[in-house]
Amino acid sequence: MKALVFARKPARYVAAVLAGRVVSGAGAKVGPLKLHEDHDIPELPGPGWRYIKPRLAGICGSDLATIDGTSSRYFEPIVSFPFVPGHEIVADLVDPANPKAPADGSNRVILEPVLGCVARNVSPVCEQCAAGNLGNCMNIAFGDLSPGLQSGFCCDTGGGWSTLMVAHESQLHSVPAHWTDEMAVMVEPAACAVHAALAAGITPGTTTVVVLGAGTLGLLTLAAIRSIAPDVTILVVAKHPEQRDEARKLGADHLAEPAEIKRAVRRLTGSKALTNAGPDGPIDRLTGGAAVVFDCVGSSESLADAIAVSGPRGRIMLVGMAGHTELDLTGLWHKELQLVGTYAYGTEEPAADGTPRRTFDLAMELVENHDLGRLVTATYPLNRYTEAISHAANAGRRGAIKIAFDLRTEKERDHL
Amino acid sequence: MSKPTRLPVNGRSLGELAVRAARNSGATAWRNAPFPLRAPTVPDGVTPLRPKAKLGADYDTEWARSYPARFARVLLVEGLVRPMMDILAAPKIDGVDRLHDLDGPVIFAANHHSHVDTPLLLATIPEPWQHHLAIVAGADYFFGNRLTAPLSALAIGAIPMERNKVNRKSADDAAALLDDGWSLLIFPEGGRSPDGWGQAFRPGAGYLSFRCGVPVVPIHLEGTGDILRKGRTFPKPGRTTITFGSPLRPAEDEDSRTFAARIQATVEQLADETTTDWFNARRRAHAGTTPSLVGPDTVGAWRRTWQLGANTPKRARSQRSWPKL
Amino acid sequence: MPRPGFVLDVDKSTPPILFHHGEQFRLERLPAGRSRVIYPAEPIEALEDPEGAIRHALLNPMGDSKPLPDLLTPGMKLTIAFDDISLPLPQMRAPDIRQRIIEQVLDLAAAAGVDDVHLIAALALHRRMTETELRHALGDRIYDAFAPHGTLYNHDAEDPDNLLFVGETKHGEEVEINKRAAESDLIVYVNLNIVAMDGGWKSTATGLSSYRAIRHHHNVKTMEQSKSFMDRHSSELHHSNWRQGKVLRDAGIKIFQIETTINNNTFGTDGPLSVLQKREWEWSAKDRITFLGMQKGLDVMSAKQRRSAFHSWRAPYGLTSVQAGEVEAVHEVTLKHCFDQHLVAVEGQTDVLTMGLPFICPYNVNSVMNPILVMCLGLGYFFNLYRGKPLVREGGVLIMSHPTPWDFHPVHHPSYIDFFEQVLADTTDPAEIEQRYEKQFAEDEWYRHLYRTSYAYHGVHPFYMWYWGAHALKHLGRVIIVGGDPKSVRRLGFMPASTLQDALEMATDVVGPQPTITHLHNPPILMADVS
Repeated sequence: MKALVFARKPARYVAAVLAGRVVSGAGAKVGPLKLHEDHDIPELPGPGWRYIKPRLAGICGSDLATIDGTSSRYFEPIVSFPFVPGHEIVADLVDPANPKAPADGSNRVILEPVLGCVARNVSPVCEQCAAGNLGNCMNIAFGDLSPGLQSGFCCDTGGGWSTLMVAHESQLHSVPAHWTDEMAVMVEPAACAVHAALAAGITPGTTTVVVLGAGTLGLLTLAAIRSIAPDVTILVVAKHPEQRDEARKLGADHLAEPAEIKRAVRRLTGSKALTNAGPDGPIDRLTGGAAVVFDCVGSSESLADAIAVSGPRGRIMLVGMAGHTELDLTGLWHKELQLVGTYAYGTEEPAADGTPRRTFDLAMELVENHDLGRLVTATYPLNRYTEAISHAANAGRRGAIKIAFDLRTEKERDHL
Repeated sequence: MSKPTRLPVNGRSLGELAVRAARNSGATAWRNAPFPLRAPTVPDGVTPLRPKAKLGADYDTEWARSYPARFARVLLVEGLVRPMMDILAAPKIDGVDRLHDLDGPVIFAANHHSHVDTPLLLATIPEPWQHHLAIVAGADYFFGNRLTAPLSALAIGAIPMERNKVNRKSADDAAALLDDGWSLLIFPEGGRSPDGWGQAFRPGAGYLSFRCGVPVVPIHLEGTGDILRKGRTFPKPGRTTITFGSPLRPAEDEDSRTFAARIQATVEQLADETTTDWFNARRRAHAGTTPSLVGPDTVGAWRRTWQLGANTPKRARSQRSWPKL
Repeated sequence: MPRPGFVLDVDKSTPPILFHHGEQFRLERLPAGRSRVIYPAEPIEALEDPEGAIRHALLNPMGDSKPLPDLLTPGMKLTIAFDDISLPLPQMRAPDIRQRIIEQVLDLAAAAGVDDVHLIAALALHRRMTETELRHALGDRIYDAFAPHGTLYNHDAEDPDNLLFVGETKHGEEVEINKRAAESDLIVYVNLNIVAMDGGWKSTATGLSSYRAIRHHHNVKTMEQSKSFMDRHSSELHHSNWRQGKVLRDAGIKIFQIETTINNNTFGTDGPLSVLQKREWEWSAKDRITFLGMQKGLDVMSAKQRRSAFHSWRAPYGLTSVQAGEVEAVHEVTLKHCFDQHLVAVEGQTDVLTMGLPFICPYNVNSVMNPILVMCLGLGYFFNLYRGKPLVREGGVLIMSHPTPWDFHPVHHPSYIDFFEQVLADTTDPAEIEQRYEKQFAEDEWYRHLYRTSYAYHGVHPFYMWYWGAHALKHLGRVIIVGGDPKSVRRLGFMPASTLQDALEMATDVVGPQPTITHLHNPPILMADVS
C-alpha cells in the first residue's frame, strides 16, 4: 500500500527544522516525511478493529508543525514512530468478507481519531473517557496500542495519508448518503471548533467575541460560535481577502486586518485605550475589550494581541496549537483573564437541559447547515505531497482554506 | 645700541639727528627735533586758523557706511555680537509683528540702562532695518578721542550727537541719513540710567520724526540694567526682554516735545506689558495709570531706590573675605 | 491691475497644464479641441492700511448694530470667538488677521474698562489648537495676556458643564452653544472667509456649537440638498445654520460679527512658489528653472520631509475687506468681496472634470492628508466650488490627481483610521454609513477623551468629511484618482489610474468617446459661475 511515512530520522529532522524556518512547508522536501510506495499493511490490533480505505484526508496545522519540526517536544512521548500522518479522514469501510471489492461509497465513515481507553482496550476506562471527554483520555500512551494521541500519530494504526489503515469501531461515524466527501473531511476540524465554541461559555449577556485568525480553524470556530450565539457581535481578524469573504458568509459582523485589531476591538467595544509610548503613541492595549477571544493562530503575537484586546475577566480560548511561546503575562494577571486551552472533542452538553451529545454529531450538523465542504479548496494525490504541503502551509496567501489528499481512484471519485 | 645707519638721502644731518635723538631718548628727542619732523611754529604776526575739529560731534562717519565697513559690521554682529548677546542677555523678543506694515526708514527709540543695550538691539532689530541702521551716540562719550571715535563708527555704526547743547550739525546729519534711507536708533533719555529709574525722553527723536516724516518705533528693554548697569565694569549674564511697540507718527496737533512725551508713554506701556501682560497694560494705559519709568519725583533718594525695589535683583554682594588671623 | 480669472480653450499650442498632486506636481497635456482650463483671478489689491480699515469697520458697523465702543461697558461679560486653524489655508504670514482685529477689539475693551473677557477658538468638532498655533493666530501679546489666566481656550463641544441649550428651530433643529459665549453680554466673532462657505451664522451656530446641534445640518440629506454648499443662497447647510442663528438672536444673544476676506495671493508674487500662481505660457526661464528644481528636490525628499516643507509655507495673503456689525448684513458684503476674487464665469457643463489636489485641506494643517480628506477635498470642496450648476454634468466623471497614501496622523485623526479601516471596508454609501455607524462614533468615549484632552478631531468628524462629498457622489458617474495608492483609492470606492491618459480612457466607459474636459486650475481658489 501507498503511504506517507514520518520516521524518526534525526538528521532529516534537523534539515526540516532549518528549512521550515525559512519557508513554511519546506520541511516536506528535506524532512523525515517520505512517500513509501509499498508500505507494510498494518495488522488489526485486536477485536473491534476494522480496515478502512481513506478517501480524503485533510492536512491540519498540527501536521504542518510536525513536518516543519516546529512542534513542541511535548509530543514525543505521545506519538510512536514511524507513523503515517493524517487524522481528518473520510474513508470506505472495508468489508472483511470481501476485502478486495472496490468501494462504491455506500459504506463511508468519518474517523474520530482520538485513541482513548476503548480503542486501547484499557478496562476499566479512565474517568475522563467514562465522562465522555474522549480528548482528555489519560491513557493515550498506554494499553494495547503504542503511544499515540490520535490515529495519524501512532505506529500501529496507520493514518489518513495512505490508502489503507485500521480503525476501531468506536472511532467510526457513518456518512449520510447525500454528503460529499469534502463535507465529511471537514467534520473532524469542525468538531474541534464546536468544542472550543462551547467551552468558551458564551452567555446571552456576552456582547463581543473576537476570533483571531481566519484559516480553517478560525472560520469553523466562527461558524460554531454563530450557531451557538446568533446575537453576539463577532469580529474576525483575517489577513487575506478570500478569508474575509468566507468569514462574512459565515456570519462575521466585523472584519479587521491583523494590524487593525486593537483599533477594531476598541471601537467595537467602545473601550478606552492605553499606549506605552507617551500620549501620542499607537494603541498598546485596551482598558476594556472583548469578553471572549478565540485565538485560532496560537503564535506569541496572536496571544499578545488576545491579552491586549480582552476585557477584564475575559476569556482567551487557545484553539490554535501553541508551542513554545514568549509572552508578557502581566495583562493576564492584571485583567484577571482566563487563558483556556481547547483540544479535540468528546461529549458536549449544548442544550439548556444538559442532554449530552457527541461533539462529532454537533459538528456534522454544523457542516450540513453551512455546507462547509466548500472550504476544501484543493486536493492532491499522495505523490504530489510536497506541493500539497507547501500549498497548505501557505493556504491563506494562496487564497486557499483546507487542503486535502485525495486517495480515491478515478472510479471511486466518480461513483458519487 | 645699534650702530648709526647711513641713510642715502640727506644722510649726514639725519644720521646725526638720529644718533642724538637716541642718546637723549624719547620725548626730549622729538621736542628737540627740527622741522619737518616737528610741527611748525606759527609766526607771531599771523592769527592761526581755528583747527578743524575732528572729534566729538564733528567726527565724520561717512566712511563707516561704505560697503566694506558695512560688511565688516555684518560680520561683527553675526559672528560676535549676536552669539555674545545670546549668552549674556538671553533675549526674548516681542512685538516684531507690529512692524509688519512698515517699510522705509524708521527711528527706533529705546529706553537706556546699559552699554549692553546697543549691541543687544544691533542683534535684535529685524531686517530690513538691521543692516541699514545708524546709532545715535553721545558725541562726548563715544567720539571723545581718536581711538573710540572710529571704533564706535565702525563697530556699532554710531553717529555723534551732541547731548549737552543744541548742535545744528548733528541734527542735520541725522536727518540727511534718514532721507538717505537709513534708520536710526536713538536713546531719547540721552544717556544711561544713573539709578535704575528711567529719565525723561528728550525731544530729539520726535523732532527728527517731524522733520523727515519718518515713524518712530518705541522699544522697551527690560533686564539690561542687571547685566551691566552704569558704574559697573564687568557684565553679569541675565535675561532680557525686548519689546517693540507699534510705530508712532506725530499727530497734527503735536509738537516735538509732546510727541516725545507720547513716545515715552508708549515705552512705559511696553514696560507694563512686559511685567504684566498686554491686556492689563492696555487697560491701565486707557485709564492713565501706566506705571512711570521715571520713578517718583521726590527729594528723598531712598524713596526712589525703595520703590525700585521690586525690579532690582535682591542679591547680597559677595562677602569680603578677611584674612584669617 | 490684476487680471480676472478666465477660461482657456486648449489647442495644439497650449503648454502642459500644472496639476497639484499632494506635495508634488504634475504637468499634463490635455486633449486639444475639447478641453478647457479654468484659471483663477490674480490676487486683487490688498487694503493699503489694514489697521485703519479694521478701525473703520469697528466704528462704522453694518446693519442695525451700534459701533463697537458703544457696546462695551465696564463690568460687562465679553467673549471674543475666532475661527480656528482650519482657516486660512495655508496659514498666513504673521501677523494673522485675527491678531490684528482682536488687538483692536481688546484695545477698545480696555478703553471701556471691560474686565471679564474670554477668548474662545470656535473650533466646533475640529481638533484643539496647540499653543504654537494659537500664538500664530493671535500673537504672543494676546496669548500671554489671557492664556495664563485660563481666559483664552479652545471651545469644548463635549463639556456638558459649558454648553447651553438655547432652543429649537421651527424645523426641530436643536441649538446649543458654548455656555460662556451664550451668557455673555456680547459675543464678538472674528472670522476669516477664505471661501464663500465660511462665515455668517455658520460662525456661531456651528463654530461654538456641539454635536447635538451640528448633526441637524451636517448630514447626508442636508448636504445632498446643498447645491452647492459654497453658494449660501442655494445651500441647505446654510439655511439650517441661518435658522439656528435666528434662534440665537431671538434668545437675546448679542453678536458683533467681524468678517474679513483675503485675496488669492497664496503662493506669493515672487519667491519659490510664485510659479504656482502663474499661467503656464507665462512662465519665464527663471520660473521654469525654479519649477524643475523644486520638482527634482521634492522627488528626492521623503514624504515626511515634503510634508514639513509644505506645511511650513506661510501664505502672504492680503486683506481685501473687513466689515463688522450685524451678522447677516455683514455676511452679504463679505460674500460680495469673496466672489469678487473667486468667481469665474464658465459656459456650460463638461463630461469630465479634472483637478489636481494640493497638499492641504481645512483639516490637515500641520498634519497628514489622509485618503478621507482627499475625498473630502475633491468631492466636497473642489466639486462644490460652483454657483448655478456643477461644472461636470450629471453622470459625468471626476478625475483627481493626488498620491492618496494610506497614511493617517495618529494623534489628529484617530477616528478617521477606524472609519477607513472598518466603515469604508464595509460600505461607501453615505446614507448607509450615517445610519449604521454615525451614532457609535459620535458617542465613543475614547474619541471624546482624545478630542477633549489631546489634539484629535471629534469621533464623528470623518463622517462629515464623507457627507461633504455626498452631493458629488450622487451626481457623478465615476471618480478616478490619478497616481493614487491603488489600495486606498479602491477603499474609497474610486478607481485608480497611473496616468491622466489612462484615466481619460477609463472615463470614456462612462461618458462615451471624445468627451469634453474641463480642468479646475485650483488653488489659488476659483469658483465657477456656471451658466
